[in-house]
Amino acid sequence: MNRHFGSRQAVGIAAVSALALTLTACGGGRDSGRSGDAAEGAPSPGITDDSVTLGITTPLSGATAGPGTCTVAGVTAYFGMKNAEGGVEFGDGQTRTVEIEALDDTYDPQQAAANYDSLKDDVFAMTAGLGTPTNRAWREAAIADEVPQALIMTGDPLFSDTEESPWQLGFVPIYQNEGEAFGELLASSSEEHRVAILSQNDDFGAGYVEGFKSAVEGADNIEIVEELTYEATDTSVDAQITQLAASDADVFFNAMSVTPLVISALQQAQQLNWLPNWFLPSNTSSPGAILQPGGADAFPGIYSVSFSKAPQSPAFAEDEDVQTYLSALAEYGNYPDPPAFPHCQWSWMVGATLEQAFMEMEEPTRDSFMEALRSIEDFQAPLMLEGTAVTTSEDGQPAVSTLNVQKYNGTGYDTVESFE
Amino acid sequence: MASSSKTSAPTTPAPASSAAASSASSFRQRPWVRWGAPLLLVVGLAVLPLVMTESANDTLARIGVFAVAVLGLNVVMGYTGQVSLGQIFFLGLGAYVTAYGVQSGWNIGLVFVLTCFIPAVVGLLVALAAARLGGLAIAMVTIALPIVGVPLAKRLSEFTGGSQGLSARFVAAPEGSGLYDDQWQLYIVLVIGGIVFLLTYFLVRGKYGRAFAIVKGNENVASSMGISPYRYKVLAFTIASLIGGVSGFLYMVVVQYTSPETMSFGHSIELLVAMVIGGAGSIVGSLLGGVFYVVVPDITNAIDPSLTALLQGALLLAVLFVLPGGLVSLPRAVMRGLRRSSTGRGSAAPPTTPSSTSGSGTAAEPTETERQGSA
Repeated sequence: MNRHFGSRQAVGIAAVSALALTLTACGGGRDSGRSGDAAEGAPSPGITDDSVTLGITTPLSGATAGPGTCTVAGVTAYFGMKNAEGGVEFGDGQTRTVEIEALDDTYDPQQAAANYDSLKDDVFAMTAGLGTPTNRAWREAAIADEVPQALIMTGDPLFSDTEESPWQLGFVPIYQNEGEAFGELLASSSEEHRVAILSQNDDFGAGYVEGFKSAVEGADNIEIVEELTYEATDTSVDAQITQLAASDADVFFNAMSVTPLVISALQQAQQLNWLPNWFLPSNTSSPGAILQPGGADAFPGIYSVSFSKAPQSPAFAEDEDVQTYLSALAEYGNYPDPPAFPHCQWSWMVGATLEQAFMEMEEPTRDSFMEALRSIEDFQAPLMLEGTAVTTSEDGQPAVSTLNVQKYNGTGYDTVESFE
Repeated sequence: MASSSKTSAPTTPAPASSAAASSASSFRQRPWVRWGAPLLLVVGLAVLPLVMTESANDTLARIGVFAVAVLGLNVVMGYTGQVSLGQIFFLGLGAYVTAYGVQSGWNIGLVFVLTCFIPAVVGLLVALAAARLGGLAIAMVTIALPIVGVPLAKRLSEFTGGSQGLSARFVAAPEGSGLYDDQWQLYIVLVIGGIVFLLTYFLVRGKYGRAFAIVKGNENVASSMGISPYRYKVLAFTIASLIGGVSGFLYMVVVQYTSPETMSFGHSIELLVAMVIGGAGSIVGSLLGGVFYVVVPDITNAIDPSLTALLQGALLLAVLFVLPGGLVSLPRAVMRGLRRSSTGRGSAAPPTTPSSTSGSGTAAEPTETERQGSA
């Protein structure tokens, strides 16, 4: 009886509150919040004569919060520093300060789409957000609304396809770029190499292998002797390592994104006394977190790829870029500790690349911004390694598609020119 | 389950309260109130999408999606008392079926039927095995669903698009309707979600609802009355899966994109939290659960985006501490609090005294406005 009572009460409440909402909203005007048909040349939302606002949706809590926080910190620090100097001079002659509005999506696509919806009318462009599903969730909406989704952190090639994604541009190299960079180095070697491949059975692993194979195609000195896959949810790859060890390959291309599996793979190979040269993806090649616990010193060479200077590395301790970056990160980026993820550096470079686009855009519109963003050639952003650059004019490629292959030296990485 | 002791509270503390309740409910028994209120609700909901801003429409539509998902969870957990941690799997499955169907160019009506049918069948198969187990064992089996679902969705990339997911924009407002897309989406959610809520309302109020309640209360009693606990548990689980599938369809209407992340295990727990916060075993509680699921991340984002998890945890604890029966018990708690303060310490006032009845009757009036504010 009581339950009946309660629910009827509640229906009443719902009805009354619905009515109340209706009445209050009536004053709101019909088209509030539905812009988009602005006149030609009129300023886009989020930009005034003295400031421009950028939006970010990225994981700030949950399992990916570490790298996610970095994606906000770097770009916030960069523009914090620029704002303190007076702002950025835009191509239309105005000097504007750059504000960042960041929201947490917890790596949930649904929340990312909601964040985009709440930001799109207040920000000039969306940028720097981390994650493939979280960026895909609102990609089509951004195209429909003509909101730039610029320099986002995903290795998904879709965002670099100008045809499919006219309002998007990825920043970091796609998976294929990484595999290709290593393949090219290997193909240029003067010796014969037998390669074993282990890859994650999804688009991550497939992308690496595709890039690698395209680079070694036609190279006579390279033979792929064994190729296996594993599932991202596997808890052990010992069986695969054992089978690959039997192939007696001297190069092991391991497209693996799961940290503990990489460590156990390194250990298992040593136990089998199989000591090839390794290739590891950029996100699973951390010296402190993976190579040292895995005992990587036992192998003749561990190779990975990178395009950014590592602030922790002693080689860059005196570097001017790195020092400016670290002090700005602490002062303006709300990130006092030394950055634990490369995403902080990438985000800093995103800031610098955006500044380039801002300096070129002639009108305060999203159209003009995208045009300027797509015409950056060979820009050496701060913190970039020598030999890498931002080039946005190439269709099908993200803003950064060049990578340096690096070799592990026991504590950090050195760039290598050739494979010995 | 925790709510059951609280929901019966009004009968116990003081006889005066039942008198107040009867005077308030007699107001609601009047025919014009009984028919007028739902009518008003329908009219309100029909007008709402036209007058609100785009972002308010989006938010309401997302609330609708997750309110339906929470409702499904309520059928199996709130009403039948079987712990299910796999509800998000059925939402994800429904979303994938919708996305695949739309991408393959199937008729949208057929897609919707499949979106109901496939999760229901999967739910039935799981329940046939799981319902044989008692108590927490069912929880363990249902935990497996999202845990298996995510890698499965990544693996079956032919159907699911792998970890890159599937998008499907299929709900543009029809030409000539003069509606914006967000208004059209909200209408779809309101109509489909409204029908699901109405059907579930009748389900849990009728013969099956009573059977669910007995199974929840005591399985042995249920058996002795000729109600097979096994059969009703399977039924409840299947219905919950079906409703989960419908919420997956609505998810695609609103979000228009699905990926393995959609059905990650964490969201299953969040749905469970939303159900408990809204109010277990309550239709309106499901709605409030949906509101909680969607609005709280937005609010915490507005306060401080780097502290969302912390703030949500604090809010969860606060609600459960103050309102163990969920948000749906808020009006009752407020009313009880007011009554206590108005009748003072003389809680043992004789129930038959007319003055006391009228006194508490007036005390009930302010709570009415209080409730409108809180709803």
